[in-house]
Amino acid sequence: MNLVAAYGLLAQALVFGALVTLLPLGPLRQRAALAATTAALLAGIAPALHGVFGAPSLTLLQLAIWQLAGRDSLLPDFRPALGLLVFAGLFYGTALGWGPVDPYALGYQPWALLAALIPVAAALWWRRQEMALLILSVDLLAYAAGLFANLWDALLDPLLVLLALFVVGRQGIETLLARRRAARAH
Amino acid sequence: MTIGRWLAPLLFVLALGAAAWRAPLVDAPAFVPPPAAKPSTLPAEFRAERLPAAAESAHAASLAQLADGRIAAAWFAGSREGAADVAIWFALLGKDGWSQPRAIANRQSTAGSTFSHVRKLGNPVLYVEGSWLHLWYVSVAIGGWAGSALNHSVSTDAGTNWSPARRLSTSPLANISTLARTPPLPLADGGLGLPVYHEFLAKHGEWLRLSPTGQVVDKVRMGHERASLQPAVVAFDERHALALLRDSGPGRGQIQVAGSDDGGQSWPAGPALPIPNSNSSVALLRLPSGRLLLASNGASGRSELQLWLSADQGKTWQASRTVESSPDGGAEFSYPALLLSRDGRIHLAYTWRRQGIKHAMFTEAWLDGDTP
Repeated sequence: MNLVAAYGLLAQALVFGALVTLLPLGPLRQRAALAATTAALLAGIAPALHGVFGAPSLTLLQLAIWQLAGRDSLLPDFRPALGLLVFAGLFYGTALGWGPVDPYALGYQPWALLAALIPVAAALWWRRQEMALLILSVDLLAYAAGLFANLWDALLDPLLVLLALFVVGRQGIETLLARRRAARAH
Repeated sequence: MTIGRWLAPLLFVLALGAAAWRAPLVDAPAFVPPPAAKPSTLPAEFRAERLPAAAESAHAASLAQLADGRIAAAWFAGSREGAADVAIWFALLGKDGWSQPRAIANRQSTAGSTFSHVRKLGNPVLYVEGSWLHLWYVSVAIGGWAGSALNHSVSTDAGTNWSPARRLSTSPLANISTLARTPPLPLADGGLGLPVYHEFLAKHGEWLRLSPTGQVVDKVRMGHERASLQPAVVAFDERHALALLRDSGPGRGQIQVAGSDDGGQSWPAGPALPIPNSNSSVALLRLPSGRLLLASNGASGRSELQLWLSADQGKTWQASRTVESSPDGGAEFSYPALLLSRDGRIHLAYTWRRQGIKHAMFTEAWLDGDTP
C-alpha cells in the first residue's frame, strides 16, 4: 500500500464532497456530501482528480474537512484569496520556467522556507488568525510525517488556487454588477 | 482569552520543530568519479540485430547491465505513440540472444499503484544499482507529453517482478511536466542524479538529486539559451560534468550544452556544439579510453543516426560512424541509448523506423577503424 498515493486519493474524494456542499442543497447538504465523497471513490472521480491535479495540499484538505463538518467555508475570504492568487502567479510562473530561479526547489530542503514561515506565523497570531495558524501547523506536521517530499506541496496546490480564483472572480463580477445597478439608479 | 490563542502558536512551534527534524540533511553534492582511462584492447567488432517485436509501434529504448552480466532493455510500445494500449516492455540479452519482450508496466498497473487516472505511458529509463534494477517512466493523466509525471519502480530479481510504481514529487503544478529519457549518474553520498526535463510553458533540462532511499532532495534547472530537452550527462570527476541536450527549436538547431563544476549544484549553459540537431534525442557515454561518444541524428534529421567522438571532454567533436541511414523520407532511426558493458563493449539501442528497437554492439576499435 502506497500511503502517499492513498492520501492523495482519499483527500481528493473529501475535497470533491466538500465542493458539492457548496451547491445550494438546503437540508440535503450533509447527505449529498456523503454521497458525493462515496461516489468520488467508487465512480472514478477521485482517481481522475488525483491524476489531473495531483495530491491536494493539507491546507485544502483541512478547509474541505471544515466545510464538510459545516463549521466554515471551503472558500477563502476575498483578501486572502487575492493574496494567494498574486503569490501563486509569481510562484507557479517562476517554478514552471519563467526566469532562472525555481522556488519550488526550496521545498526539498526547506530550511529557508521554514525560517520564512516564522514571521508569517507571528503575523497570523498578532492578527488573531488562530485558525490559519492551526492550518499552517497541521501542514507542517503532515510534512514531518512524510506525506510530502516537498514542503510547498503541503502548503498549497492548484485546486486551492482555482478556488481563490473563483472567490476573486465572483467578487469582481458582483462589484461590477453593483456598479452598473448604481449607475442605472442615477 | 481563549485556549486557542495560545494553543495555536504552541502547536506551530512543535510542528516547526518536527518539520525541521524531518527535513533532509544532505552532503554537498559530488559525482562518483569514473574509472581511470585506459585504452581498450578489444578488436574492431560490430554486430546489430532487431529486438523481437512487442507491438506495432515502438520507441525510446533504455539500456542497463544486470549484476549477472546480461543486458536489459526497456522501451514503450503499442498501436501508436500515445495510444491507450502502450506499455513499457522489457527484454534481456543473454547467451541465446534477446528474450521475448514482456510488459512490465501499463496504464492499469500504473493507475492501480498510484491511485490515479492514467491516460498514456512514455519514456522508460533503466539503471542498475547493485542488485536493484531501477525503472523510471512517464505517465500522463491529461493532455500531451508536457503533462507527464515521473514514476519509479524497482526490481530485485532481474526484472521478473517489479515494485508498485511510486510517483515522484517534482513539480508544484499538479506534479506535471517532468520527463526522463537518459540514465542517472551515481553520486558520492550513495544517491543518484537523474537528468530530467520540463516542457510545460518552458522547455529546459533539470537535474533531480535523489537520496540513497530514492527521495527527491533537490532539483536544479539547467541553463539554456534555447528550448532544450532530454539532457544526457557524463561526469569527469567529483565536481565536473557535461550535459548535452536536444534542441527543441524554434527551427533547426544544434546540440545544446550545460555543464557543472560543483557536483551538480548548478548547471550553467555553455556554447552549443557545432553539430546539427533537429529536435531529436541524443545519447552520451564516456568510453574506457576516457573519450566521449555521442549518438545523435545529424543534419539529415532522424533518417540518419550518427556517432561522434571527443577526446577533450566535449570541447571538440569528430564524426566517427554512421550507424544507419536511409534515403526513404519516412525512415526514422532515433532516440539512441548508449551503455558501456563491463567487458568494454559498447551497446547502442535505438528506435528503428518506429516499428521496433534495434540493438548494436561494437568496440572502441570499430569506432576508430575505417571498415564498414
